[in-house]
Amino acid sequence: MFKHKKVLISLCISAYLAISAFQISNIQRTFFKPEIPSNFPPPVYELKANPLTEEGIELGRTLFYDPILSSDGSTSCGSCHQQFAAFAHQDHPMSHGVDNQFGRRNALPLFNLLFSKTFFWDGGVHSLDFSPLNALENEVELNEQLDNVLKKLNDSEEYRDKFKKAFGVSEITSKVFLQSLTQFMATLVSANSRYDKFIRNEGGLLTAEEKEGLELFEQKCSSCHATGLFTDGSFRNNGVPNNYRFDKGREEITLNASDRGKYKVPSLRNIEFTAPYMHDGSISSLEKVLDHYTSGVEQSATLDPLLKQNNQPGLAITDPEKKKIIAFLMTLSDREFITDKRFSEPELFLNTPKPNEKNHSHTNNR
Amino acid sequence: MSKSMKFQVLLCCSVFLFCGFSRYEKPKNTEGTVILKFNNLFNKEALDFEKAYTNAHGEKVKFTLLNYFISNIKLTKEDGSTYAVPQDSSYFLVKQSDPASKEITLNHIPSGKYSALTFTIGVDSLRNTMGIGSRTGALDVGATAKGMYWVWNSGYIFFKLEGTSPAAPEKQKNVFNYHIGGFGGYRSKTMNNIKTRTLAFKPVVVSNRKGPVIDINVEIDHFFDQVNPIKIAEKSSVMWGEFSTKISENYVSIFNLGNVSSK
Ligand code: HEC
Ligand code: HEC
Repeated sequence: MFKHKKVLISLCISAYLAISAFQISNIQRTFFKPEIPSNFPPPVYELKANPLTEEGIELGRTLFYDPILSSDGSTSCGSCHQQFAAFAHQDHPMSHGVDNQFGRRNALPLFNLLFSKTFFWDGGVHSLDFSPLNALENEVELNEQLDNVLKKLNDSEEYRDKFKKAFGVSEITSKVFLQSLTQFMATLVSANSRYDKFIRNEGGLLTAEEKEGLELFEQKCSSCHATGLFTDGSFRNNGVPNNYRFDKGREEITLNASDRGKYKVPSLRNIEFTAPYMHDGSISSLEKVLDHYTSGVEQSATLDPLLKQNNQPGLAITDPEKKKIIAFLMTLSDREFITDKRFSEPELFLNTPKPNEKNHSHTNNR
Repeated sequence: MSKSMKFQVLLCCSVFLFCGFSRYEKPKNTEGTVILKFNNLFNKEALDFEKAYTNAHGEKVKFTLLNYFISNIKLTKEDGSTYAVPQDSSYFLVKQSDPASKEITLNHIPSGKYSALTFTIGVDSLRNTMGIGSRTGALDVGATAKGMYWVWNSGYIFFKLEGTSPAAPEKQKNVFNYHIGGFGGYRSKTMNNIKTRTLAFKPVVVSNRKGPVIDINVEIDHFFDQVNPIKIAEKSSVMWGEFSTKISENYVSIFNLGNVSSK
């Protein structure tokens, strides 16, 4: 009798397995190989652990623009990360989300994330997979809980179907949810500015002024804004005034006082589109950024030594030189990237009405 | 081949395979089972969220949440050799609110006479830095491990104790919370609160017929005074910060050996 039961059970199991094997073999996925620009360092993200597929990327894009990710259905990733602003939040020094509450930091643009070692201004997150959680569970951003988002997605037949197509799963778990967002964000590679086409000999031309700007940039700026990414990924204090009451920068992560007021060196690609500038959005234009570097650098214990010459804080740059540097920075604009349809809001969300704007309330989160 | 034919072939193959497996898959007689039972106690009695207690500093307390990770379990034989439970099946989240989580069954332990148990309270550094694909089961931040992960400062919360006390500030609704984590940092070094505990006992036999049940008493009363005095009136909310190390120094030694019985 016992033996029979065992056989019966194994029959059931094998039937189940056979069905799932059948289903998995029936999934048509198209693998996608992201192009690695020749003027970039090698990627940091382990693509092997999460191979990109057309289906996974498309699903990630849908999630990125779907306000289902916020507690009140008002906000999506795309609300703060806008394509026309190279996925930064245009004109918002402090990004706002649910209930129009303000966060305490300026939204970072999203591109070339495959090449980042750490995420966020303070580098608190070290895997792209985990970076959406920060916004998702932040009270002033999406104000949601991951398990609740997963529940909402699992309740949707459409999403269950999409996840099955992309990952071959019948249940949406944190793993595939985060992997699909990563897949979309991994494709956001920006490397087709006029500067890129110049440096890769692809027919891009720089004017004499822009070339002089490039030279000046290499002398004054590229020790931090380094490589084809225009950042070396390090944390530094560039002298933006900070009273450290609301934001201690990298120190909050390392608990090391020598990291006070240090922030991740941001890329300068697409800088034309991402105003306002700095972690607190305190500088409104590139002219003012350059003025900051010559006369606004605040002395402090952690000020980067590169920004202190002859014991004087700041860099020596003349006004005509500033103009040339700005002219060069403008060649870093990648218009193909900010208009690429593959990265845009999918049609299906374009006509959904957004809830009314509510009163602004200032809060410091965390 | 048509789809349904493919399906039938597959079905037949797997039926054969599985009949074969089920006939021959007997437990190996070279291995057995060890059960770990975590008993959360206060003043030597089972911890109860409904009861009010007084800690060593005379502060009245009631608890609302107690969770901790147990991982990287290792067993030491009488002869000093060790057996480490394979990494992928060595992460457990014990929750006071979930009685089943307090009993950990370790299968496939090689037969022998064992005399010590070692485990980590928390999650090792390596696992804290892996991609989402390696965060399943107890480590799933969207399911079991909900609330046991810092999203802004990547890493698991190793030990989480929450409750209310008149000693906690009123403006905080008398709530106290201790969320202790910190795996040492990834790109730069920082605080490391990973703690490892070893408990020794009289040798017990593990075989395919016999296996021990090891009780581990977790003396929550001594959370407040084991090594460092933790006064709610002074520190009612401790998360990421220097003081958390003092708390991890306390809780590592409140995990003590209870009964060891054979089954
Ligand atoms: C309310 C506005 C807001 C929303 C909504 C939002 N973000 Fe952000 N995002 C920010 C801000 C602000 C930062 C920078 C914060 C910091 O560094 O502390 C940021 C940073 C990031 C970064 C790090 C970029 C880098 O280079 O380090 C990633 C990745 C990211 N967001 C992805 C997402 C995803 C995915 C979503 C949707 C799940 C999302 N964000 C939703 C405001 C938002
Ligand atoms: C010592 C390293 C260092 C040098 C040298 C340096 N920067 Fe920066 N730069 C930074 C850091 C760090 C930040 C972010 C600071 C913050 O947000 O508080 C930054 C921010 C910026 C920003 C704002 C970017 C954004 O997205 O908000 C611009 C623009 C900029 N730098 C341009 C320049 C230019 C032009 C030069 C040369 C004249 C230069 N930097 C030299 C470290 C440096």
